[in-house]
Amino acid sequence: MTGTRVSTAAGGQALELSWVQPFGMVGLSIANFIRRVLTLGIYDFWGRTEVRRRIWSGVRLDGEPLVYHGTGRELFVGFLIVFLLVLLPIMLSGLVVVAVFGASPGVTGLFQTVIFAVASLLFGVGSYRAQRYRLSRTTWRGIRGSVAGNSWAYGWTYFWTLLLIPLTLGWIIPWRATALQRRLTANMSFGDKPFVFQGHSLSLYGPFSVMWLGIPTILVLASVVIGASGLLPGPQALEALGDGRDLAPDIRARAALLPFILLVVGYVSYVLIGAWYQARVFNHFARSTLFGAAHFEGRATGLGLAFIGVTNMLILALGAVVATSLLSAILVGVVYLLGPDQAQYARTLTAMAPVFVIIAILSFGLLLPVTQARYSRYLVEHLRLVGPVDVDAIAQGAKQEINRGEGLAQAFDVDAF
Amino acid sequence: MSMHSDPVDKYADRRFDARFSDGTSAGSETVGVALSPRGIEISRDRDPQPLVWPYGAIVTAEPLSDHSIDALVTYRYQQGASLFVPGGAFARALAEVAPHLTARAERWRNTRPWLWVAGAVVLVSGLIALSDLSPARTLAGLMPDAARQTLGAQVIGSMTRGKTVCEASEGRAALDRLAARLSAAAGNAAAFKLTVVEWSLVNAFAAPGEQIVVTSGLIAQAQSPEELAGVIAHEMGHGIERHPETGIVRAVGLTAAAELMLGGGSGTLTNLGLALAQLSYTRAAEREADDHALAILRATSISAKGLADFFVRMGKGEKDDGGVSVDLLRSHPQTAERLQHVLSAPTYPTKAAMSAPEWAALRAICEADAKAR
Repeated sequence: MTGTRVSTAAGGQALELSWVQPFGMVGLSIANFIRRVLTLGIYDFWGRTEVRRRIWSGVRLDGEPLVYHGTGRELFVGFLIVFLLVLLPIMLSGLVVVAVFGASPGVTGLFQTVIFAVASLLFGVGSYRAQRYRLSRTTWRGIRGSVAGNSWAYGWTYFWTLLLIPLTLGWIIPWRATALQRRLTANMSFGDKPFVFQGHSLSLYGPFSVMWLGIPTILVLASVVIGASGLLPGPQALEALGDGRDLAPDIRARAALLPFILLVVGYVSYVLIGAWYQARVFNHFARSTLFGAAHFEGRATGLGLAFIGVTNMLILALGAVVATSLLSAILVGVVYLLGPDQAQYARTLTAMAPVFVIIAILSFGLLLPVTQARYSRYLVEHLRLVGPVDVDAIAQGAKQEINRGEGLAQAFDVDAF
Repeated sequence: MSMHSDPVDKYADRRFDARFSDGTSAGSETVGVALSPRGIEISRDRDPQPLVWPYGAIVTAEPLSDHSIDALVTYRYQQGASLFVPGGAFARALAEVAPHLTARAERWRNTRPWLWVAGAVVLVSGLIALSDLSPARTLAGLMPDAARQTLGAQVIGSMTRGKTVCEASEGRAALDRLAARLSAAAGNAAAFKLTVVEWSLVNAFAAPGEQIVVTSGLIAQAQSPEELAGVIAHEMGHGIERHPETGIVRAVGLTAAAELMLGGGSGTLTNLGLALAQLSYTRAAEREADDHALAILRATSISAKGLADFFVRMGKGEKDDGGVSVDLLRSHPQTAERLQHVLSAPTYPTKAAMSAPEWAALRAICEADAKAR
């Protein structure tokens, strides 16, 4: 190519990663919501695709956008296949098991254990396949991404390490996250150039111990501080109670405060320390990911992630409140229009009930696209590609034949996007 | 310029700066772009002839709108090649020249087939409901007896969980005699099994596999054995028509459909068991059960007045006075209609549903249990 760019000595150029806010995420959310309701939910696959295209276009490398090429039809067909091959058989086998062996707790317990095992395995397989699908549908300057490797191997690692989490009191988590990330990243390519993962879980154990020990420590400290502050009834107050049958109302109220305060302190510290750990993981994985002579560098912070997480939750709640208020308004309207004829009213409500249930369930996802765009923005703005990339040397990779979407991932709700 | 009506002419002289990648590598070059009548013209330094991408065969990464800040164009017949034009001016011009690339056009294209599907679903369900066809009922009729028995045991189990099953021997014997008499008249292949639970709710339920649950509240409220016999005969009617089985098949089908429509995220499949106990019947189903009840009562020479009395009681709600309140019946047209239906049945010579001592024993079916323990 005869480009007009400045080449660096290392035979490449530095590529700047940036974010351009896509226009109208709120409008798109509302438009998709209405379409989902009108089509009894099926538009979801196409709506999701449009959201992804918009978010992908917000990610810029050297000023040019990533392009998402997936289609709603691919997602729909993928889900349909998983529905018929996985979800429906699970549902029917549950009925058959109950019909054949009866509903004894032993049988249902065993059945649920088997279902849990199968679902966990498929969850891992599904998330790998979802990544593979998305990357194969992502291009930059016309060059595709790809993920090679075996999704079942990933699913198996995901599964057995999941079983070990309670046995190791959680201490396998950093190793597990690194092993899974390595499996994924080491199989990723952009065009014909592979990504390389060069990281060790050891560097995550410091932050992990802080999190593991930190939250209980904060709770103990909080109890001590609350006790010393005299906010709660002291020993002399308790002594004065005698047999304790007649607690003064104010003392009782203050005693009831302790668990509440501890709950709040515990939750806040969990959110903050959890986000701090997640930020460390993100930055570590970024630094461990190499592309040719370049590597990534993450600068996410715990406060930043916590802020995005909490505000996103508030935004989703706002969407659900708005949608359910509208729903209530419709209900009130129906009652008003029907007047005093209660039988007619009951019949109409019964007929409309499925529609209301669908609207209520969909309402939690009303502003999901907005939150997804905010989260993507945060990650992109806190990620850099450091070092030269020789773009002219990156050729199109061999085309992988993936002709359906990430059904498995959607069936088990793996999807972040 | 403005005198031209064709948007292509309007932009014929505009040149836009862009970056072009030919899809063989991740490199890109600076090019000039124009919107000609033939299509997008891409002029590269080294090529004397511009590349032409006809409007009908191009795709934009993002649908175009007034708010577009740039456009990334690909061409169906040159895989991998892409053209990136920064700035909103080109995107707006392209939207005018190729309106099929706008957001509105694309969304309509994607939604339209599903609006048809949704309309068809509503139409088909409406037709099935109107023509009195019931696929759920057909499936329920195909269910093997063993499966109906276990399903019934499931439902009874979940209904009686945490409640006392009343089994005082004398009361039980009286109930069994009544049940056997009604069951024989019902003409069903299998005999009905009755379970009495200690439950203040005034009700009786039919479960799959010829199972019927009667609450102690119903027995306590019943003013006569005929009233109880009427209600039991009505529940047997539901059983004969396989209404409980049909309800379960319908619940399973609806759940599967909901799961399909909501993309599997609703988690309803796992909570299917919860839906099984929650069955209610349509007006037509109640009418069918009433018809069976009248036939059973007639065959056993038990007066249908008991069933009528029960409807009156239902119509009265929780009112304490003994008289029939016509006003209250008016607000429950279904009950009033059913009462009318029962009252209009021809009369026949009747015998008592059970003797006074039997009735007394049955009314004590739960109390005697407590004493025995």
